[in-house]
Amino acid sequence: MSSWVIAMMLGVSVFLGSIAVVALMWAIKKGQFDDEEKFLNAVKFDNEEDLNDAANLERKKEKLKKKEYRPE
Amino acid sequence: MSDKIACTHCHLEFSKDVMIKDGEHYFCCNGCQGVFHLLSDEGLDSFYDKLGDNKLAPPSDQFEDASNFDSPAFYERFVSVNKEGFSEVSLIIEGIHCAACVWLNEKALTNMDGVVATNINYTNNKAKIIWDDDTVKLSKIIEMIRAIGYNAYPYDASLQEEKADKERKEYYLRIAVAVFATMNMMTIMVAQYAGYFTGITPEIKHILNIGEWVLSTPVLFYSGWPFIRGTYYGIKTKTVNMDTLVATGAFLTYIYSIYITLTRSGEAYFDSVTMIITFVLVGKFLEVLSKKSVADTLDVMNKHLPTDVQVVENEKVVTKNVNDVDVGDILLLSVGERVAIDGELLSGSGTFDESSLTGESEPIFKTVGDQLISGTVSIDADVKYKTTKDFAHSTMSNIVSLLENAMNNKPRIQQLANKLSEYFSSVILGLAFLTFFAWLFYSSNFEQSFMIAISVIVIACPCALALATPVATLVGLSIASKRGILFKEAALLETMAKANVLVLDKTGTITRGRPKVIDEKIFTAFDKSLLYSLLLNSKHPISKGIAEYIYDDTLECFALESLHNIPAQGITAMYNGKMLAGGNALLMQTIGINVTSSSEGSEFFFAYDGEILAEYELFDTPREDAKEAIKNIKKLGIEIIMLTGDHQRSAKKVANLVGIEKFQYDMTPEGKAKYIENLHKEGKTIVMAGDGINDILALANSDIAIAMGNGSDIAIEVSDVVLLNDTFSSLYDSFKISKRTFLMIKENLALSFVYNAITIPLAMMGYIIPLIAALSMSVSSLLVVGNSMRIKFGYKD
Repeated sequence: MSSWVIAMMLGVSVFLGSIAVVALMWAIKKGQFDDEEKFLNAVKFDNEEDLNDAANLERKKEKLKKKEYRPE
Repeated sequence: MSDKIACTHCHLEFSKDVMIKDGEHYFCCNGCQGVFHLLSDEGLDSFYDKLGDNKLAPPSDQFEDASNFDSPAFYERFVSVNKEGFSEVSLIIEGIHCAACVWLNEKALTNMDGVVATNINYTNNKAKIIWDDDTVKLSKIIEMIRAIGYNAYPYDASLQEEKADKERKEYYLRIAVAVFATMNMMTIMVAQYAGYFTGITPEIKHILNIGEWVLSTPVLFYSGWPFIRGTYYGIKTKTVNMDTLVATGAFLTYIYSIYITLTRSGEAYFDSVTMIITFVLVGKFLEVLSKKSVADTLDVMNKHLPTDVQVVENEKVVTKNVNDVDVGDILLLSVGERVAIDGELLSGSGTFDESSLTGESEPIFKTVGDQLISGTVSIDADVKYKTTKDFAHSTMSNIVSLLENAMNNKPRIQQLANKLSEYFSSVILGLAFLTFFAWLFYSSNFEQSFMIAISVIVIACPCALALATPVATLVGLSIASKRGILFKEAALLETMAKANVLVLDKTGTITRGRPKVIDEKIFTAFDKSLLYSLLLNSKHPISKGIAEYIYDDTLECFALESLHNIPAQGITAMYNGKMLAGGNALLMQTIGINVTSSSEGSEFFFAYDGEILAEYELFDTPREDAKEAIKNIKKLGIEIIMLTGDHQRSAKKVANLVGIEKFQYDMTPEGKAKYIENLHKEGKTIVMAGDGINDILALANSDIAIAMGNGSDIAIEVSDVVLLNDTFSSLYDSFKISKRTFLMIKENLALSFVYNAITIPLAMMGYIIPLIAALSMSVSSLLVVGNSMRIKFGYKD
C-alpha cells in the first residue's frame, strides 16, 4: 500500500515537472528568449496605440497579399 | 557668460550662443533640428517622452547615396523573397542607444506604406524588415531610417551566424532537460541515502531505482547526445577524447544500473549518469557561449564596398556589376560614393576620406593623375577615372579576402586541458580494461570484475577535469569585465597568458590620436575670439586641438565671410574686409607670408591682414598611463614592438617618450600584417593592440587582437579583446589577469590529477564503496570551483 503511494507521487511529480520542461523547450524553440531586452521594454511601452499599430500592420499585409499581381 | 542648455533632440548640452534657436526649442545642429521637425510632422513626438533623460548622438552627415540600395546586384545579394511574396532584408541599425530608439525605428517603419513587418533586436541592433517591393523600395526604407537620425546597412544573415544561434539554442534545450532531471534526481537521492543509513524496504528502493531510471534516460540519450556523437566520430577517426570518456563512463554506468535494478541487487548509479552529463555539458556550453562568429565581422567589412558602378561605354553611362568591369574601363564617381575599384583620376578633383586605409581622419585632396583607392569615399569630388585593376584585385577586395583568410585560419594554440584530456581518457579506459581482465583472471567472477572496472571509470569522473578550465576562465572573464576588459572568447585567456610579444600601433593606441598644443608663441597680442571663430569652421583634428586649448567663457563667435577650407593647408576667411588665415607653413606661403617650418610636430600659424600673429605647435602626445603600463608589461617578460604608418621622426619621439626600444615606421596595412607573420615564423605568440581600420589585417593575423574602446567598429569586430575604458593600464591588467587565470587552470588540473592518483588505485583494488565514490566526486568538483575563486584575490574592486 505505502509503496503504491510512493510510486504514484513520484510518477505524478515527474510528469507535472516534465510538462513545465516541455513548455520551456517549446518557448526556447519559438525564439521567445532570443532578445532578452524585448520582454522588459515591451512592458515599459505597452499601450493601446501599439496594439492598433500591430492590427493595422496585419490588415495592411492582408491587403497587399490580396493584390491581383504578385511577383514570383 | 552663458549657461549650458540641452539640445531638444539629442539632449547633449552646449553653451546657449552656439545653439540654433527655433521657437522655444534649441538645437545643437541642423541634423537634430531636421529630425525634430520630421518627428513632429509624422506625429512621432511621443518619442521624447519615452527617451527620458537618455542622450543621443546627433545625426551624422551621410555621404553615401541611398539609391545604391535599389540596384539589382544589391537585391540579389541581400534581399530575399519569402513564401508570401514579400521581400525580406536583414539590417544593422547604427545609433541605437536605448529602448526609445528601437521604438522610434519600429514605429516610423511600420507607418510606411508597403512595410508589413519590422523586428528590431534590442540587444544587438539587428533588424529584419519585410516589405512589399511593388509599393516601396528598399532605398526609401533606408532613407527613412537615416531621416530620423540613424544609419542602416544590410548584412548577409549568413548561414554561419544562424548556425551559431542554432547551436546555442540546442544547448539550452539539452541543459534544460539535464538540469530538470538532475534536480529531481537529487530529491530521490536524499531518500536513497537516508535509506542507506537507516534502512529501507527493498520494495521502496526498487521504486526509487525505477524513478531514477526514468529520469536518467532522457539525460543520457538527449542531453548527452553531443558526447555520444563525439565518441562516434572519435572511433571513426581513431582518436580518444574527453567525449569518449564521458560517453563510455555514463553509458556503462547506465547499463550496469539497469542490470542492478532488474536483478534487485546492490546499488544503482543512475545519479552518476545524470551528474556527469549535466556538469560536463554545462562546462561545454560555457565555451560555446563565448565563441564569436567570423561571419559578423565580415558583414561589417562588406559594407565598405559598393556592388555596382557607373561605367562610360560608347559615350553612354551604364550601370554595371563591379565584377563585370575590366581593367581600363572609364568609371564615373559622384559626390558621396565609395570607390569600388582602384584607378587613376582622369578628370575632376576633390577631397577623399581615406580613413579606412590610413587611420588618419584628415581628408586627402586628389586631382588628375592621382590614384584612387577602393574603400575610400569621395567627400566632394565628382570625377571620371580609369580603372587600373579589376574588382577582385582592388585594394579593398584584397583586404577583405586577406581578412577572411586570416580569420578563418587564426592560429589556435591548443588548450592545455584538451591536450591533457586526450591522454587522460586513453589511460583511464586502458586501466579500466586492465582491471576488468585482472579481476576476471583472479576471481573468475564476471559480475564483480565488471562492477570494479566500471567503478574505475566512475571514480575517474571527468567532472573536475572538465570543470577545471571553464570555471577558472569564467572567474577570470568576470574580473576582467568588471575592469572594462572584454574577452570575446574564454579560451583567449590561456592564449594571452602564453604570449611573449606585444605589438602596438602608434596613432590612437599609444597616443590618443588627438593632437594637443604643446607650445604657443604670440608675436602680436590679438583678440582670441577671432582665431576661435575661424577654428570653429574646421573639423580638422589640429583645429579642434587649438580650439580646445584657447577656449574660455569670454570668447565670442564672430560672423565670418567667404570661408575657404583649403585641403592639406588650412582655412581662410574675411572679417571686416580683412583676411584671416590659419594653417600650416604652406598656406602662409600661398597667401604671401614667408615662414620657416622647424618643429617635429605639427605647426599652425594664425595670420590677420597679412601679418603673422601667433604660432602653435601641436603634438599627438602619448596617453598618460602608457609609460607606466609599458614598463610593467616589460617586467612580465614581454617584448614590445611599435608599428606605425607615420614617419620616422614622430615614431622615434613617441617611442622614446614611452620607453619602447624597437619600432618600425612607414608601415602599410599589409606591411604590418607581414611583420606579424614573420614574428609567427620565429615561433612567437603575438598580442597586437590597435584601433584603426589600417590595423585590422595585422589584428586578424595576430594570436590575440586587442582593440581600444574608441577604435573603429571593424577593429573592435576583428579583435578578441576590447579595452572598454580605453586606458593603457587595462592593457597591463589584461596580461596580469590572463596569467593569473592560466595559473589557476594549471592548479585545478593538478588538483584533479592528485585526486585521481589517490582514488583510481583504490578503485582498481575494489575498495571504493558507492557512497565514497559519490561523495568524493562532489568534493573534487567543489575543490576545483573553490580554487578558481582565488583568482579574485588581489582584485578587490
